[in-house]
Amino acid sequence: MVLKHSVITLGIVLVAATGALAKKESAVPATLSKQKQLALVRVNVTGQSYDYFRPWQKKAPISKRALGAVLSKGRVLVTADLVTNQNYVELERAESGEKTAAKVQVIDYEANLALLEPVEKTFLDGITPLEITPDTVVGDRLAAWQLEPTGALVATEGLVTTVQMTPYPIDIGEFLTYRVSIPMQYRENSYTVPLVKNNKLAGLLLRYDPRSQLLDAIPAPIITHFLKEAENQNYRGFPAAGFSFFPTRDPELREFSGETGKGGGVYITNVEPNTPAMKAGLQIGDIVTAVANNEIDQNGNYVDPLYGKIEFTNLLTAHAYSGDVVPFRIQRSGKPMQLNMTLEHRDAKDYVSPPYNFDQPPRYYVVGGLIFQELSRQYLKEWGPAWQREAPQRLVYLDRFQSELFPQGNRRVVILSQVLPANSTIGYDDLSYLTVTRVNGKEIKSLGDLAEAVKQPIEGGFIKIETEEDPKQIELDAAQVTAEAPNLQENYGISALHRLD
Amino acid sequence: MKRTLIFAYVALLLGPASYAQQDSPARPPMEAQAPRPALPSRSSPPAQAVVPVPVPIAPPKPNGPVQKSLVRITATAVEPDYKAPWNAGAIQRGVGAGFVIEGNRILTNAHVVSNSRYLTVERDSDPNKYPAKVLFIANDCDLALITVDAPNFFKNMVPLKFGGIPSLESTVSAYGYPIGGERMSVTTGIVSRIDFQLYTHSSIDQHLAVQISAQINPGNSGGPVMQNGKVIGVAFQGYSGDVAQGVAYMIPTPVINRFLKDVSNGHYDKYVDLAISYSKLQNPAQRKFLGLKDDNRGVLVSTVVEAGPSANVLRSGDVLLTIDDHPIASDGNVELEGEPADFQEVVERKFKGGSVKLDIWRDKQPMTVKIEFVKTAWPYLIQGHSYDVRPRYVLYGGLLFQPLNLDLLEANRSTDLRLRHFFEYFILEQLYLQHPDVIVLANILPDPINTYLAPYRGGIVDEINGKKIRTLDDLANSFAEAPERIVIRMIGDGPPLVLDRNKVEAARERIKTRYNVLKEQNLEEQPGSNTPKQANKI
Repeated sequence: MVLKHSVITLGIVLVAATGALAKKESAVPATLSKQKQLALVRVNVTGQSYDYFRPWQKKAPISKRALGAVLSKGRVLVTADLVTNQNYVELERAESGEKTAAKVQVIDYEANLALLEPVEKTFLDGITPLEITPDTVVGDRLAAWQLEPTGALVATEGLVTTVQMTPYPIDIGEFLTYRVSIPMQYRENSYTVPLVKNNKLAGLLLRYDPRSQLLDAIPAPIITHFLKEAENQNYRGFPAAGFSFFPTRDPELREFSGETGKGGGVYITNVEPNTPAMKAGLQIGDIVTAVANNEIDQNGNYVDPLYGKIEFTNLLTAHAYSGDVVPFRIQRSGKPMQLNMTLEHRDAKDYVSPPYNFDQPPRYYVVGGLIFQELSRQYLKEWGPAWQREAPQRLVYLDRFQSELFPQGNRRVVILSQVLPANSTIGYDDLSYLTVTRVNGKEIKSLGDLAEAVKQPIEGGFIKIETEEDPKQIELDAAQVTAEAPNLQENYGISALHRLD
Repeated sequence: MKRTLIFAYVALLLGPASYAQQDSPARPPMEAQAPRPALPSRSSPPAQAVVPVPVPIAPPKPNGPVQKSLVRITATAVEPDYKAPWNAGAIQRGVGAGFVIEGNRILTNAHVVSNSRYLTVERDSDPNKYPAKVLFIANDCDLALITVDAPNFFKNMVPLKFGGIPSLESTVSAYGYPIGGERMSVTTGIVSRIDFQLYTHSSIDQHLAVQISAQINPGNSGGPVMQNGKVIGVAFQGYSGDVAQGVAYMIPTPVINRFLKDVSNGHYDKYVDLAISYSKLQNPAQRKFLGLKDDNRGVLVSTVVEAGPSANVLRSGDVLLTIDDHPIASDGNVELEGEPADFQEVVERKFKGGSVKLDIWRDKQPMTVKIEFVKTAWPYLIQGHSYDVRPRYVLYGGLLFQPLNLDLLEANRSTDLRLRHFFEYFILEQLYLQHPDVIVLANILPDPINTYLAPYRGGIVDEINGKKIRTLDDLANSFAEAPERIVIRMIGDGPPLVLDRNKVEAARERIKTRYNVLKEQNLEEQPGSNTPKQANKI
């Protein structure tokens, strides 16, 4: 848990560390330099993220350079954060500098992986694709592959110190991660760095902390899972079960749950609606003792044949696919039972406050200078890396405790995000971050509800907006809002007053 | 833009420091320069010259022999320890100023004498230290009255008289015992601003305050600010130099007079409050919707606190048009004695048992309502600092349960999102209706019986063995009557906290001895110093 906060993604870190790291280069091992056609291409990406404070526009474009690992069937593997919100992706042959446009074939934001394919099909000809080695264990040495501007290989070797479950940048659930102790060097193309064992791909860089020289890698088992899933017509993503759990080390809690002795198992603290766990009949207070026939200890670990003790959620992510039926052995009030859980992926849109939103513009609705949006973690992340501290705390609270506050799910939280001063909003200029409950008397559970409600002004031609917080009510003159709209668009450069798709 | 706002907010909350001088003997002078002598007093009549602006400031007008009225107060206080509430707390010594007023009383700041266990006063040209006692303390407006029992103490003292609100740009002099020397100090400045300000001593109350450009520093607190020989304020807070320069505040005479009148019946009843929130009514469409004329009158009631005096009288959506016949402008101002003032200033001048008349506009109809100040809106109290009270707590099985308040949050430096939400929205979301005490598992004293319970720390107790816990007394009763197994549910979706009563009982003495716990619970805040009999704890 400490790690989650202290480690930053490499893209950010390396920019700051240029000078410090550039000098510490290690020699290229002779065995590696003999390889003539490295299975690496440069990837140049220009991306633009959406501006959630001015949701009708995008932010200034940013360019990133990275390396991609060339896989079989003319595919190039990169991290998802390299190509999120991309406008243009280009592949570049390391040795010749030859370039071609590429498109994103499949992307998984949660596992932070993406597959690219060159528009020019023959572009990767002559490169022997990288095979994947799934058997890395603690104590193995991995080489991080980077490129010199000349196209020559820079290889740095590191030691795998831990294999564990950690949160990925999109913080929903945890995935298998290799931790590698490695003195990485700065290269401008360090966004996606392949980690290689015996000339086979063992992982991709997830994040790197230059001070502790610790690197977290997306491991081969997650990559393999992603590639296998990517062969489906519709990419479904990693499964999510939809429950939370707590260790049962406390003997009082064990006894309360009807457990005796020193057996294992975890205590189920929450089961979210419309999830595989709820459909399978899992209940709060159940003790889960085995998943997919693997016994679980009191801390929630099972014994993996490769890694030893590791958290059992690995069985539901790396080992299982959407659609798989996984047997759960549980104790309910002391009685053993078996449940069969059919795993599914949980889309970002299935949350009340979606945890991420990429490659799609944010929804918004402007009424007479009042900007309405739907609460999402993407919106909160506009406050920067410390958003949990810096963003409006009420909204952070609604996001964090969404499953507790909206147990039925199946809705959004509509917020009055900001007010653009205009004639119709005089006196309202200071309002911001209010949650909308009703508009023109109709309950608001999405921006679509709001759009419908706004079209039906109440008696006297007013639009009445009710908020959870003070001032509780805001009224606008519907005719004035319509008349003033062109001026508002002109003054503030708003290309369109709403976007709902 | 958003970040700037946040920083400004922090600066406002943290900036004004209360100016009692703490542990002054140990503190070195701030600059290596010779101490400035106090200004000599002159007997010529005050000149009526207009103060030139900008600086240099006109020479101060003599205010007479203030030394004959000023006292130096040394307070030894015991600050409650919210992390180990069974302990008496840390002993601190502070120095402030005060001045004699009629009736053998000394007026000073509440923060000079709050939490004090021993008080002494000294006066000019007298080597004695006189033990003193608190008569009344008003933490909500940072004022206190103390007295000295020594029969001759007041004999040669000259009680000071009060003036009115000084005009902007007029010159004032502040007297006190700030750092830099032992004897009385005088500084001068002009009146910079007259406005409502947060009083940082409680950190929840807002009253009228006058900003002056006279330098005031730790040790000035409680000292008189004078003009034309009369007291026009009591110096009490300001910004430290790294936040803003030359911004100091004094408590003006309307607030002082209200305090003196409040205590004239033998006890301090505190300020009364409408306990509502309101919004300005400046939007033409909103005014039209409400059926109001285009006359810039009225404010909109947003929230009515159910525990306050306006409950069942006012409701959200009402428009307040007049208050005691003073028309309320759409920005919330009324005209009092020819000056614009916040309409709440009318309420500020009321006392417990009084009432206020409001002309309101409800459902497009005029109405007149009367609000009687009988009950005070107690939920606000958890959001401010408390003084002269003993922290309430229950320690059970090494688990320390405490009611949520500002002092607890600050002691634990808590950043827990749920706790902060319960604190911030205690009133606006009417959380106090369900949880008059928000009971927090604030700390755990490790013992074999609670060794696996660390993850529950910071949780808010919801129910015990199926029974809702609303107050700390409920919690203590639940533990007292508990069957063999105690199941504590916290708010949120965590697991229950389960205790075995027999094991807890067996561990009691062990935990008490190991952690030197003098008392396992305190359910009563002892009466505060505003009760005269309890006030003097010498």
